[in-house]
Amino acid sequence: MAQSLVLTLLGGALLRVSAFSDLYLNYVKPGFRVPLVLAGAVLLVLGLLGLAEEWRRPYHAPPGKDGHDSLDGEDPAGSHGHARGPRVAWLLCLPVVAIFLISPPALGSFAAARQEAAPVPRPPAASTGYAALAADRATAMPIGEFIGRAWSNRGRSLAGRRVRLTGFAVPAEKKDQWYLTRMQLRCCAADAFPLKVAVVGAPAPRPDTWVEVTGTWVATPYEELPKGTVAPALTATALTKVTRPAEPYE
Amino acid sequence: MSDRTTLDWAAEPDGPVPPPTWGRRAPEAQVLPWVFAALGGFLLIGNLLLSPHLTAPALSTWSTIFVAICVQAIPFLVLGVTLSAAITAFVPPSFFRRALPGHPYAAVPVAGAAGLVLPGCECASVPVASSLMSRGVTPSAALAFLLASPAINPVVLVATAVAFPGEPLIVLARFAASLAVAVLAGWAWQLLGRPGLLRVPDAATTGGSSRRAAFLSAMRHDFLHAGGFLVVGGLTAATLNVVVPRSWLAAVADNPWLSVLVLAALAVVLSICSEADAFVAASLTGFSPTARLAFMVVGPMVDLKLIALQAGTFGRAFAARFVPLTFTLAIAVSVLVGWVLL
Repeated sequence: MAQSLVLTLLGGALLRVSAFSDLYLNYVKPGFRVPLVLAGAVLLVLGLLGLAEEWRRPYHAPPGKDGHDSLDGEDPAGSHGHARGPRVAWLLCLPVVAIFLISPPALGSFAAARQEAAPVPRPPAASTGYAALAADRATAMPIGEFIGRAWSNRGRSLAGRRVRLTGFAVPAEKKDQWYLTRMQLRCCAADAFPLKVAVVGAPAPRPDTWVEVTGTWVATPYEELPKGTVAPALTATALTKVTRPAEPYE
Repeated sequence: MSDRTTLDWAAEPDGPVPPPTWGRRAPEAQVLPWVFAALGGFLLIGNLLLSPHLTAPALSTWSTIFVAICVQAIPFLVLGVTLSAAITAFVPPSFFRRALPGHPYAAVPVAGAAGLVLPGCECASVPVASSLMSRGVTPSAALAFLLASPAINPVVLVATAVAFPGEPLIVLARFAASLAVAVLAGWAWQLLGRPGLLRVPDAATTGGSSRRAAFLSAMRHDFLHAGGFLVVGGLTAATLNVVVPRSWLAAVADNPWLSVLVLAALAVVLSICSEADAFVAASLTGFSPTARLAFMVVGPMVDLKLIALQAGTFGRAFAARFVPLTFTLAIAVSVLVGWVLL
């Protein structure tokens, strides 16, 4: 009974996150929706089938029946009976509680600031060269592409061009600048790392505010790519607040 | 965390023979729906009232990572549990005995390679290995299967490929190292093991229940068991992620030998299901590929929940010898394979 209810709750929570909202985008990549919906449906059906079975069973079920499931002989704690399920299964309620009570948001400036010193892997270098940017208007691009352009070929493709980037604000240690940030996922939020662009020439918005910044790249004084992590810089000419995009990661 | 894992098996066998809960079963079954209805209502109301206030950045970051690990792993877990339950319920046990060579030393590699076609995570492979033994398969061959199947089955390999996009060598290295460890451990047990050490359980009866019922019951049980330990792993990983400063891990990560040992120990402590551990390994950026390989080779073969399962199934004397043997072999082989391939 208890285990069927746990399964039902968990399946329902998975469906709530994936099928009925975009919340799953806070945790995993967009392509993961179908497996999530399927898994949620399977768990829900499994739980409901179990509940129906319990419901049909006579009120005074003989307790001795518990001990003779097909898997029982191999269970390390075989005496705790399968109708009650392994005790560790109760922990499966925790993600459900977290999803509903905390409704965890996408990773924000706290996570981005924690990884200040972490060695950020270079964005996959599209070394084959980037397409030339339009000269007469600002080009919108992902932050990852901006960083890639800035470090490849000494940023030649960015020189003198206006770009438009979207991300959230993270305070910087240096005065008169802040970071426009987007987290990048490889598979889920546990492996997210920040992509940062230092913004100068605009007052810092409050942390975690989503903004769209238009500006030009600041040419670096370095001949060589510096060691460690140095964020490329952008001189802002315009800054507008935007609503958080549905897919918060890059 | 380790308390909880050991408690799961240590507390039970010495309890009173008819557990005191038996008498209370009917009232409990009556009360539970109300408990869950109350919990459901609490969750829905809390979602509306409480969640706008639970916004401390550390808490929300922790919960995001925790939920992300669970959400990412559960579909793989469901797939693995479904397939393994289908095999448990629908493939006759005699099939495995006929398929294996008679000579023990020849049977070990075949059984290890058989892990390739039998999907399941490590919690599922312990019962399967035990039923193989009870149906007459050589214990060392069943042990090779036990070690190999959670590490090299297609679900795990696909999960690894998804977690490390564009790095097929990691998948190959994981496959080669895990199979090598399984076969070596099987041979070592054939050479060194004494018959008395290993407690072979009696053949499990299917209890006359239908195949469909056996399938559903195996699936439910396996999922709850593995899922519970997955949550333990997710909790630990999220806490490590938020609490431990990155500079510590970076300091360890710089030392190649120490980093292998630390990640191997981490794999034991975290007890992540083999269908999900590749994702955690991928998140440990900054560590060398060899250290991450050790994490993925050790994890499915030795971890806290497996030690508990093995000790409960095959006896403590067995676990006390087999676990250190596997751990040492796993580290040695992954260092070797990592050095050659990565």
